[in-house]
Amino acid sequence: MTLIARRRIGTTITYVLMAFLLLFTLFPFLWMLLSALKPADEIRLRTPSFLIRHPTFDNFTRVLVDHHFLMFIKNSLVVSLVACAFSLVISLLAGYVFSRHYRRKLVQSTNFAMLISQMVPPVLLLVPLYITMRNLELLDTYWALILAYTTFVIPLSTFMLSSAYDSIPASLEEAAEIDGAGRMRTLINVVIPVMIPSIVSVALYSFITAWNEFMFGYIFTSTDSMRTITPAIMLFKGANTVDWGGLMASSVIAVLPVAVIFLFLQRLFMSGMMSGAVKG
Amino acid sequence: MRVGAVSRETSNKRFMTLALLPAWVFIIGLIGYPLVMVLIDAFSNAHLVNANVSGFAGLDNFDKVVSDPHFGPAAANTAVWTVGSVLGEFVIGLGAALLLNAKVRGQGFFRVAAFIPWLVPIVVAGMTWEWILNPDFGILNSLLVQWGLVEAPINFLGDKSWAMATVIVVNIWRTFPYYAITFLAAMQAIPGELYEAASIDGAGAFRRFWHVTMPQLRSPALIIVFVHMIWTAVNFDFIWVMTQGGPNYATETLPIMIYRYSMQQFDVGAASALSTIMLVATTLIFVVYYRYRRRLSDEMVG
Repeated sequence: MTLIARRRIGTTITYVLMAFLLLFTLFPFLWMLLSALKPADEIRLRTPSFLIRHPTFDNFTRVLVDHHFLMFIKNSLVVSLVACAFSLVISLLAGYVFSRHYRRKLVQSTNFAMLISQMVPPVLLLVPLYITMRNLELLDTYWALILAYTTFVIPLSTFMLSSAYDSIPASLEEAAEIDGAGRMRTLINVVIPVMIPSIVSVALYSFITAWNEFMFGYIFTSTDSMRTITPAIMLFKGANTVDWGGLMASSVIAVLPVAVIFLFLQRLFMSGMMSGAVKG
Repeated sequence: MRVGAVSRETSNKRFMTLALLPAWVFIIGLIGYPLVMVLIDAFSNAHLVNANVSGFAGLDNFDKVVSDPHFGPAAANTAVWTVGSVLGEFVIGLGAALLLNAKVRGQGFFRVAAFIPWLVPIVVAGMTWEWILNPDFGILNSLLVQWGLVEAPINFLGDKSWAMATVIVVNIWRTFPYYAITFLAAMQAIPGELYEAASIDGAGAFRRFWHVTMPQLRSPALIIVFVHMIWTAVNFDFIWVMTQGGPNYATETLPIMIYRYSMQQFDVGAASALSTIMLVATTLIFVVYYRYRRRLSDEMVG
């Protein structure tokens, strides 16, 4: 067999395997979307069809309006955005010190505390966190979730931002400091602007982590008006066991913001992931 | 000059302390303090609602957990769930990374498409698969029956003998992209000359993979397997969303038991004892990992 023929076979096999891989990863999304657009009588068919005879947005309007998903989306957005902002400010500060003063004892012990925190599984802290939130009267408020989500993304955000600071020469700040600017002003006006791409990656990571989180949202919130979207889907299923059209519509809604962010910023996100992966 | 140096040192210290303070507040308040509380409550009588239940309990809570008839099966389920998931994720993730590393057209698109499941909320992954696998109206059962692969629809999540395997597959679906991207990044860091040299020495594709690629993947593989062992063992969401531990406790894992103790039986003591047991197990896994990792880096240096 010639080399070219052999290579061609290799490429074909690669494409076939790739097709299987994509079928595995993407089919559930396709099926979710198709089901969300089907009317009730086409959902409940013994032999489901890939074609929709009467496509409809009924499932979406029912879920969004009648089942309050508009409100759940708003709650999720508030909680995720605030947690994202908090964790960014905290880890921008901590990451800077990590990068510039790595040899200090204080920094080393903070680093160690963060490594340990990252290894402690949230579910094991569920009970005391619940009791703490109850004692602070924060259950059923946004704050319980904001505080929990902020805490659990701080370590990784700090590590990621610290390595982003590493790539910025200290001479940049020294020049600004000679000009008489204070450390905080230098950090805000000189250093932070040049690492916007890394900051966006870290912000995305925190936002998506908070948006996707389920357990704390499920346990810290018991009233509809404060509920976030992931526990809302779970409870919607419990209360409407047969409404698969509505369930798939709510799933599409929950995936949408993350999918949109990802598709717009995928280049940035993938490169951030890959570099983080090598270091991790 | 000297005065300047001292004041610079003071200002440095003050700046460092201030900059690290918020992180410390969160970590001590919401990780450190709860961690200590778990350890204390494990040895106390404590009830979630009734404050009158209190006092030192000795090892009673541990005794209660260990003699709970569900504890043994749940520990075994946790092991099956963890090992099954991590093994599947590893194999599919490695295979996917090899595919995505191949130089073909559309490479960028394939990478993005393969990565997407990892971004989905676990609830959504669970619900969507539950719908696909539904015994009455699910597409998979319909196709399996049409193609004559099965006689009657399989009740994937409702059948005791299928439920665990099903939940594991859904977990693999959502998590393998993370392995794929990690391995892909490591593969791209391997210098091309290594492969060229191996080719010149007459190594075929398989031997190049085994002797050039694999050794370079050892270090990232170790980290990712270790981290996922822990993440999977303590994961509450997947199983709660899909089966709530059922049918008939077939998928009940230790985190589900913690939830039942605390949120359904309000027994804070028992929940904390079980959390403590899992913390100790996690720490042991960490120690094993740490020692293995040191040996690995010694080998690499020496």
